[in-house]
Amino acid sequence: MEFDFSPVIDYLPTLLQGVGVTLLIGLTVAVMSVIGGQIVAVITLYTRKVVNWPLRFFIWLFMTTPLLLQLYFLYFGLGELILIPAIVVGILGLGFHYMAYNADIFIATIRSVSSGQYEASRSLGFGHLRTLFYVILPQAFYRALPQLSNNMIIMVKDISVLSAIGIGEMVYVSQYAISVTFRPFEFYITIAVIYYLINLMMEAGQTWIERRAAYRR
Amino acid sequence: MTQSTETPMVELKGVKKRFGDLEVLKGIDLRVDRGQIISIIGPSGSGKSTLLRSINNLEAIDEGTILLDGVQVNRPDLKGLAFERHINHIRQNMGMVFQHFNLFPHLSTLENVTLAPRKLKGMSASDARALGMELLERVGLADKAQAYPSALSGGQKQRVAIARALAMRPKVMLFDEATSALDPELVDEVNRVMKGLAEEHMTMLIVTHEMAFARDVSDWAMFMDGGVVVEANTPDRLFSHPDQERTQHFLRKHLGAHA
Amino acid sequence: MDINLMIEIAPLLVKAAWVTVDISARALFFGFFIASVLVALRTSQTPPVRWLARAYISVVRGTPYFVQLLLVFYGGPAIGLRLDPFTCGVVVGAFNIGAYMSEAIRGAIESVDSGQNEASRSLGFGRLETLRHIILPQAAGLMIRSVGVLAIILVKNSSLVSIISVVELTYQAQRLIGSTYKPLEVFMLSALMYIVIIYAVMGIVEFLYRRATRYTFR
Repeated sequence: MEFDFSPVIDYLPTLLQGVGVTLLIGLTVAVMSVIGGQIVAVITLYTRKVVNWPLRFFIWLFMTTPLLLQLYFLYFGLGELILIPAIVVGILGLGFHYMAYNADIFIATIRSVSSGQYEASRSLGFGHLRTLFYVILPQAFYRALPQLSNNMIIMVKDISVLSAIGIGEMVYVSQYAISVTFRPFEFYITIAVIYYLINLMMEAGQTWIERRAAYRR
Repeated sequence: MTQSTETPMVELKGVKKRFGDLEVLKGIDLRVDRGQIISIIGPSGSGKSTLLRSINNLEAIDEGTILLDGVQVNRPDLKGLAFERHINHIRQNMGMVFQHFNLFPHLSTLENVTLAPRKLKGMSASDARALGMELLERVGLADKAQAYPSALSGGQKQRVAIARALAMRPKVMLFDEATSALDPELVDEVNRVMKGLAEEHMTMLIVTHEMAFARDVSDWAMFMDGGVVVEANTPDRLFSHPDQERTQHFLRKHLGAHA
Repeated sequence: MDINLMIEIAPLLVKAAWVTVDISARALFFGFFIASVLVALRTSQTPPVRWLARAYISVVRGTPYFVQLLLVFYGGPAIGLRLDPFTCGVVVGAFNIGAYMSEAIRGAIESVDSGQNEASRSLGFGRLETLRHIILPQAAGLMIRSVGVLAIILVKNSSLVSIISVVELTYQAQRLIGSTYKPLEVFMLSALMYIVIIYAVMGIVEFLYRRATRYTFR
């Protein structure tokens, strides 16, 4: 057995482009799923059943079925209705999936903020919405941070799955290179290393964020 | 202390123990004869609990020798599995009672008592059961044999823990603040059991905050502070007319006007 | 909605769902052994052994399962490792989940109060006897719940082996979407199958959990 990483070097620009796409998708989905998750959580908790039951159903559905199945459904289902680029389908699919997971966390942490906080805020003269925005949600957010950052670390690894619907992230661009160079081992090892480095950085970031947020909880 | 010529039950010679830079035992010598009851008092952090735990090797000492009935407990010459076998055997001859009971929550009261004789001595289920019931009877909890620890009060838990330690027929019993975690009204029931053991001439080392009980039950009392034995004497003498100023100061704080 | 179509494709999906269950169950089984070995290695007296186990766990958890799967299936032959798709799914699934499970098992063991260890050791029980009679029975409840969570992840992860053409649930669903042009119907049926599998796992976990923690209810 002999390894030859020179094809990987040859295709480095392509691979780096894939890394760029991966990071871009990661960032977009992170923002979308955290903000969206919080909105979904608030709507779920503070609206009538006609509104929140369907939302609860979707959270549950996204959490009990595999990401890839959801991606196939969106890709072929949406693709049948309107013409949209695969990357949008991918971002929406991954975004909805993690929005559900994040909403689930926010629902729990919003509930965990004590009713004493609510009463204290109301007694100062804040209305229901202001109490929510100034008192409840900030506390819930800090409490959610450890699990949120965990979810985001898992999410970034899931970006690799988007290659299945033809999105040009790392795995997909390598697959083309592999079909030309016949060096799957070298390429997949390289991708694994890149993912591992991203993961290490995210874990370091997580530690940093948590240390900064610790005294706000 | 009157020194008999027979082998002491427990003997410590120059025992030293460090936690990092902090020396918690600064060379302890101690001799406990068969059937003798020794109380160890002192402020928290004085090293009295560490001393007791060292005898059971729950803390490994750095220097000195500990002997149980003439057999060396700490064996710097033994490594790995050899030491493991040695210490497991030694520990079967010592009963230890903890401040927080440490009953096994997944086992019934009776099973807590019979587990060690069954698994370590290979005692038959029926023999172990008979032994367990006898011991539970002795601590006044035969009616709770099938109960689980979560259903017992603190005092009851500690009595079961004593029965559990007795089930291995230990040569010596070590009590590490056995009543410190109990509500005041539950202290007496545990003290009564310990007194019963004293009347049967069980060799005991008692680390305690209960001055009155220590005075009442023990043959010899030690005051420890800062990792050394400051003073050791008969309980009457130590509690009424301590020689050392540190002892006087400690007792004044803990006994108030009754001293 | 095309009910007739759903009835028509249901048997195909049920059959594929069974493959999903099969591959997940095997991966869980072997994963448990791998996890146990990793836990033992992590508590080894020899530092390099501990580091190796930690490095393995860190790398497996720090890289995507999907990439691991592709690496072993397509890259494996380069190092003389040729596995058929199903076996590859089981092996990679087991080695992947084993790393996560070792952390779950270790966490459960460490959750048992240290006083339990001391009490047992003071009676004369050795390390292994203490683990067996005292620590594991008390860690079992938490262990079963965390392994249950991982089993569900394993079921969902198994969808990725469709990429290396194992005919499991997601593979079959994708093929049926392609041939029937009815994504909604196919999605609903296959989602239902995943939900049934996952709820079955949750039921088993709850049953085992209650058995393992019976003493806390008495």
